[in-house]
Amino acid sequence: MKLGIAVKLGLLLAMVGVLASGVTGFYAYQASRSLLVQSAKAELLTTTKVLTRRITLSREEVSRNLQLLAGHPAAALAAQGRSLPDEDQMGTLMEQMMLANPSYFQIRLISASDSGLERVRVDRAEDRLVRVRGDDLQEKGHFSYVSSALKLATGATFLSRLVINHERGAHAGLDQPSVILATPVQDPQGNTVGVVVINLDLNGVFASLRADLPKDYQLFLANRNGDYVVHPDPSQAFGFDKGRRVFVQEEFEATTALMEGRASSVVTEVQTGKYANAPVVAAFVGRVVKISSDEDRLIVGLAQPLALVLEQADRLGGVILQLVIGLGVACVLLAAVVARAVTRPINSMSTAVQRFANGHQVATLAIDRQDEIGVLARSFDTMQNEIRQQLAALHENRLELEHLARHDALTGLPNRRAFQERLDHAVARAQRSKQRFALLFIDVDNFKTINDRWGHDGGDAVLKIVALRLNATTRKADAVARMGGDEFVVLLDNPAHREDITAIAEKLLESVRSPILHNGQELQVGFSIGISQFPDDGRTAAELMARADHAMYDAKAAGRNGFRFSSIKGTPSSPTPL
Amino acid sequence: MTDMAPLFSRKLRLIRGLVIALIVPVGASALAQDKLRVLTWPGYADPDLVKLFEQRTGSKVEVTFIDSDEVMWQKLSKNKAEDFDVFAVNTAELQRYIQAGLVVPVDTRAIPNIATQLPRFKDLKAIPGLVHDNKVFAIPYTYAEMGLIYDRKQIKEPPTSIRALWDPRYRGRVLLYNGGSHNFSLAAQALGDSTPFRIDSKEWPAAVEQLIALRRNAQGFYSQPEESVEMFKAGGTALMFANYGSQQVQLLKAAGLEVGYAMPKEGALAWLDCWAITRSNRNAKLALAWIDYLLEPQPSNALVTRQGLANTTSESQTLRHQDRLQWLEPVEDVERRSLLWERILSGDRAKKVLAP
Repeated sequence: MKLGIAVKLGLLLAMVGVLASGVTGFYAYQASRSLLVQSAKAELLTTTKVLTRRITLSREEVSRNLQLLAGHPAAALAAQGRSLPDEDQMGTLMEQMMLANPSYFQIRLISASDSGLERVRVDRAEDRLVRVRGDDLQEKGHFSYVSSALKLATGATFLSRLVINHERGAHAGLDQPSVILATPVQDPQGNTVGVVVINLDLNGVFASLRADLPKDYQLFLANRNGDYVVHPDPSQAFGFDKGRRVFVQEEFEATTALMEGRASSVVTEVQTGKYANAPVVAAFVGRVVKISSDEDRLIVGLAQPLALVLEQADRLGGVILQLVIGLGVACVLLAAVVARAVTRPINSMSTAVQRFANGHQVATLAIDRQDEIGVLARSFDTMQNEIRQQLAALHENRLELEHLARHDALTGLPNRRAFQERLDHAVARAQRSKQRFALLFIDVDNFKTINDRWGHDGGDAVLKIVALRLNATTRKADAVARMGGDEFVVLLDNPAHREDITAIAEKLLESVRSPILHNGQELQVGFSIGISQFPDDGRTAAELMARADHAMYDAKAAGRNGFRFSSIKGTPSSPTPL
Repeated sequence: MTDMAPLFSRKLRLIRGLVIALIVPVGASALAQDKLRVLTWPGYADPDLVKLFEQRTGSKVEVTFIDSDEVMWQKLSKNKAEDFDVFAVNTAELQRYIQAGLVVPVDTRAIPNIATQLPRFKDLKAIPGLVHDNKVFAIPYTYAEMGLIYDRKQIKEPPTSIRALWDPRYRGRVLLYNGGSHNFSLAAQALGDSTPFRIDSKEWPAAVEQLIALRRNAQGFYSQPEESVEMFKAGGTALMFANYGSQQVQLLKAAGLEVGYAMPKEGALAWLDCWAITRSNRNAKLALAWIDYLLEPQPSNALVTRQGLANTTSESQTLRHQDRLQWLEPVEDVERRSLLWERILSGDRAKKVLAP
């Protein structure tokens, strides 16, 4: 298929436009996708940091409650086991605190003496609070939350490891994920006489933290070794308690940096292992435990499905795609318009050239334009004018040549060739319409003598005058020609009678016989005329010519300066005497 | 595939037979064309050692590893030991296999390398549970003792008795293992009981009182070796019962602590892993050859150098020949020990601990 320049140009422009908008769209999508992922990661990290801060705040709140209990005047006396009313007072206080804090499993006042015997203890049972008394009170001195807290200064808090509580008799807290916070109790003399201990329900604490997070966020908490203590899948938490450790650094390799203290937070994308099908973005914050604790570092993490992060990017991608399609269509339309705008002057010019070639009048050219098209139009216009002038000159020359070919240069009368055509034409017409015509051969008498006497100039002047007079004397429908030398011929179209011919012949003779002025001299010239008629004297041009010629010689023989009808057929006319 | 399998394996066996005929010296040919199915612990049958045995005997060894006593019991009891020929088991665990009739006596005459073992392992009758009705049921292979680790800065004289754990001088600085079975054995040893794995009904109150006293002297109780090292470092520990033995000594030394390791005169509790042969073994000669091979210097040294375990042919560096070892035996009632221990650990007093 042959493509026009408009189609080619249009296609090229459209292609460039579509490609440009496509590439721009693609890179815009890429850039905004990575920006979105980045901002989602930043957001996730911020949320994780906020969460970490909230964990600290929760811990601080527990610390305040511990201070409240430890600072109570009854605490020191109760810790030493000396005063039952004081123990009861502490017990009541603890019960109130337990009621206000559903995530507390247990509050205890433990003695520094008697191997850490519990003095006051309130446990949470299934649906009530239990005040544990008597033999049910246990010795806890061998637990670090007692021994370590006893060594602390007033107001300081000890944080135990995050464990499953296996201390028997702990009611609701038994075999539950727990963390224990403790603070020392001093007597008025400043001696440490016991510790106040709160057992926290880790699940309860983290359930309330999780409740504030978006639904699709997954919460992780790991200890300094990376053992999970909180995991979206509960079976993965406290693996060390079941003899099968599950580490955060195995699920999220990037957390190794937190483990080794090389970073305080990491954000990672995980697409392998169990996340191969549903990749996640995860942020982890390594939090150094600043208070006295068996846990020196905790790792808090949040994960979010990557698909959710990318959902926004995909929406954006949709918008960009629409824009790209819109731009592409606009480009195609624009390309069509531009292609038309460029090719229309070219087309109109080619039409102009075509019309010019076909001889039509040239269409208007855009010669007023100031651009390349205008230059082209002007050049073409100039060229067109030149060609037209040259053509006109050529035409003139041709006409002249044609005239020369068919006319006698001296007299301007049709020559023998032209007359022959005229005669053939007349024969054909006359035969068709059964009309008549007459042929008159006219010869200058003694022309040689004129030439000899007056020179060729004289001869020529005679011939010219004769031609003029013959023309003037004949009708328009008649034809006058010079056959060469001093011979002229006249074709009389459709004469009615022989008498008419005779009348014309006489008129002709009379007109040419009048004296001819040449160089101040009057010349007297005589003529002989031979006449043949169609169809009487012949039915062909040659026959008629021969008869007329013959008749003319007859006229000469009869004494010149007269006319004679052809005598072959019919009665030859008597020569007219001069 | 199923149709092809017999043909295929027959062909393989034929090729192997040919190869063996070429390279195996005369005498080993009796062991040829056979497969030995071994069930054991990681580190007891490293691939290079297995390969050497295969080359020497022209047999094929199939090793299956387990990581707990329970898994081993499941694998062997499930199919009446049909799936294995030889396995490694400790002396205490061995008893239930003997009672279930899953093992057969070992012909010690077919294991010449027994002669290279240390005297304490050669005297099989002195090791409880190995000999029944004058028949030997297992050959000692590797062991670990549970001695006392002490801080050289705090304790100048190495402790000589298990009673050091109760020494009030070390109150709050004694680190113990969180395990009922061993702790009751320790209590029994401290009470002068020569049969610490069997506590009579009238002995329980004393044992419980003894463990409560131990608890009151304790800094804490650990479960894992790494945990013990952390607690040792953080708590200013003076003395520790080393449930994991020399492994803990190495960890503590690596952590920069100056510690000593002593064996109590009552006898350090120790586990002893032995090789036993199943009732359904297909080629007793090959199984015996395997046990004999593992007593050779190369596999024996591999235990020490690669696994940090002791072997039975050379004296361990942590042990003097006069040190007594108390090989573990099945205890009278695992559940009771465990239950009472949980109560003691939780802080209950004697009355509550002994409650039904």
